[in-house]
Amino acid sequence: MAIKEKLKKILVEELNLEDMTAEEIEDSTPLFGEGLGLDSLDAVELVVLIQKHFGIEIQDMEEGREAFESVETLAGFIDERLKG
Amino acid sequence: MTRLSIRGVGVVGGFGCGLEAFDRALVSGVASTMQVTPVPGNESVLRSAFLADTAPLEEFLNKRALRRIDHFSRLALLGSHLALQDAGMLGAIPERVGLVIASGYGALRTTFSFLDSIIEDGDSCASPTHFSNSVHNAAAAHVAIKLNIGGPNLTVSQFEMSVSSALLTAQLWLEEGRVDHVVFGGVDEYSAVLGYCWERFLGSESTEEMAPFDLARQTALVGEGSAFFVLSREETASPYGAIDRVSLGHLSGGLPILPKDPVYILGADGHRQCSAKYPELVPQGASVASYAPLYGSLPVGQAFDLAAAALAMRDGRLCATPGHVAEETDWQIVGTEELGQRDICCLKMDDNGGYGFLTVTKGRG
Repeated sequence: MAIKEKLKKILVEELNLEDMTAEEIEDSTPLFGEGLGLDSLDAVELVVLIQKHFGIEIQDMEEGREAFESVETLAGFIDERLKG
Repeated sequence: MTRLSIRGVGVVGGFGCGLEAFDRALVSGVASTMQVTPVPGNESVLRSAFLADTAPLEEFLNKRALRRIDHFSRLALLGSHLALQDAGMLGAIPERVGLVIASGYGALRTTFSFLDSIIEDGDSCASPTHFSNSVHNAAAAHVAIKLNIGGPNLTVSQFEMSVSSALLTAQLWLEEGRVDHVVFGGVDEYSAVLGYCWERFLGSESTEEMAPFDLARQTALVGEGSAFFVLSREETASPYGAIDRVSLGHLSGGLPILPKDPVYILGADGHRQCSAKYPELVPQGASVASYAPLYGSLPVGQAFDLAAAALAMRDGRLCATPGHVAEETDWQIVGTEELGQRDICCLKMDDNGGYGFLTVTKGRG
């Protein structure tokens, strides 16, 4: 499964976004605020989920802030770390 | 002490959701159980359990608002919303309202999910959400946030004495004038681990029907649910009556002074070791009832007994003890009958001689 699709599935299932499906999430939709409506507790949960599902630790919150803008940026971040 | 006027009642359990469902169960005496599989990987072992459905909570809160809220907290949210709705206070919560929640077990499902995640994925990958929901006062926090209850907030866990113990705090807050109203409730939930433990400890004595007055038999069936109340200082009479007295103690300290000739709603819920203690306190010839066969065995069962007492006060009648009733007993087991001028004493005893009771009387004022 491509990283973006896997991420969308994780967002819906693990963050319990019961009112939407993975297919409904666009790559560029902001994860926080007006986009998917995630909040700071979701951000912490997401850090743990990225580590659990991709084996990637996010220790620098500045790095995470940029990565967590959208599914697209997060997938790019993960892809880069997996290659590096 | 200050009398606690019961202004609203909200219940959810194996009998369904809301006072009407509970009243129907009391009147009909029909228990509604579901089947659970307490042995992992063995679908052939089935046991009856009283499980609660929290789907009606969506009447009050949308799915997005509930997405991080676990089953335990949903039970608390549903019960508290129903109680406030019944009291006519939903959407118009006064400022000086406190919240006290009693639970014998706490959020079992989330607690064990959190522990499982540590075992399976390591502590660095344990879910922060699971952790925050696993602490005992998470449900009270969710209720306070969703209902905008800004007063003091406490969760009390004293196993089978949790309800009486928590009620003492509610009474104290109202006595001291710290608050004008208290949203009070008892919550406990079923979990796979609890089912497994019951099977290990009690499986060989499994039964399909609870018989609370067969004191020597083990007939308990596991239950879950929540029962909430809006309690206020008594300024006007409420049809549900008022809690006149709450007492908590231990038989080693001597027998307490019990109310005179009440109807006892016993917390006898089919656990043989606890049931054996009731004759030490309840006098021979006393009028007794037990409604545990409608909601099952759970540490906060006394909160459901209080709801049954409030309905009896409202309607002026008692419902018969459901299920199998022992023919030989030293007590008068009540049938469907007029309550008359009698008070109701909800008594819970544990297997160690601990007791907690509360007396419900007609409203005054």
